[in-house]
Amino acid sequence: MEQPFKIDIRKGAAGDTVEFYGNIDAHADRHFDDLIRQVSANRVIMDFSAAGRINSMGIALLLRSIKSIKTEKKAEISIQGLNQINTMLFKMTGIFLLASEARAV
Amino acid sequence: MAYVTSPALNVHGFRLNANGTIVCTPGSPLVLDRGDGVHEWHVGSTDDKEMIIAHLEQVLAGNDEAHDFLRQRAALMVDEMLENALYAAPRDASGRQLFTKGGKRGILPGERITLRCSFDGERLTLEVSDSWGSLSPETVQRFIALNLASKGADSHRAGRGLFFMWHLMDDFYVSVKPGEETAIGGALPLYPQSNEQGAYNHGTAVQD
Repeated sequence: MEQPFKIDIRKGAAGDTVEFYGNIDAHADRHFDDLIRQVSANRVIMDFSAAGRINSMGIALLLRSIKSIKTEKKAEISIQGLNQINTMLFKMTGIFLLASEARAV
Repeated sequence: MAYVTSPALNVHGFRLNANGTIVCTPGSPLVLDRGDGVHEWHVGSTDDKEMIIAHLEQVLAGNDEAHDFLRQRAALMVDEMLENALYAAPRDASGRQLFTKGGKRGILPGERITLRCSFDGERLTLEVSDSWGSLSPETVQRFIALNLASKGADSHRAGRGLFFMWHLMDDFYVSVKPGEETAIGGALPLYPQSNEQGAYNHGTAVQD
């Protein structure tokens, strides 16, 4: 069964970790406004390990929120937990121009 | 009997030429049935999308990495194709879009949206058709070119879903009978030549 979309933010010493759950598409829109408000650290890790499909609308939402966090919160953003297709989409759409890929420890 | 997609329609393919320009070329009707039969699902409402994608993923059963990547690509392609048919295709007489993405809706009286696919074990062929016939090949060509030319990370770039389809699918095509039917389709190989670049014949650069 499809997991409803949600975003969890964990505050830690290394910064804010943003965890995405479920598919990221037009239905996720309203959650992204909260995300931008709640991020406060100057280092943000976006974790897509539990995310599902990200379609073109989801990519647009991510691009918008990453730009806002970088501009408004002056935060550095890194990305982890991508599957193969989402890695490909992030490369195609320039998300990795805005956020680095976190290296596995 | 082999199912040949929309034989009465004009089929348009899209290729990157030697000058780096997207050109629209006459295409050939795609043969969906390559021996294992055609799966067909009719969309009744926006709520059907996830159920249809789940059924499609069952058609692509397999526990290895190649099947997993094929399921990921297939799910994304069908998502984009159905979103186009559900939200972008329906237009009023002046060409205005009738529905907003993300909203729930049922199929209108007389409206028809159908996904057809076949999988021969190595190649998945997909086609979504709608009964609007509102998409022009010129629009598709413009959207692909726009997305291909822009190296930046624009959040609101038109036609990104069509660009994904063109980028990821072999033999991507659009068939249009204006005001009557649009069909969008293509094929996904189980083993793409390059997992990093999707459909091998486009020469699209991706940022590393």
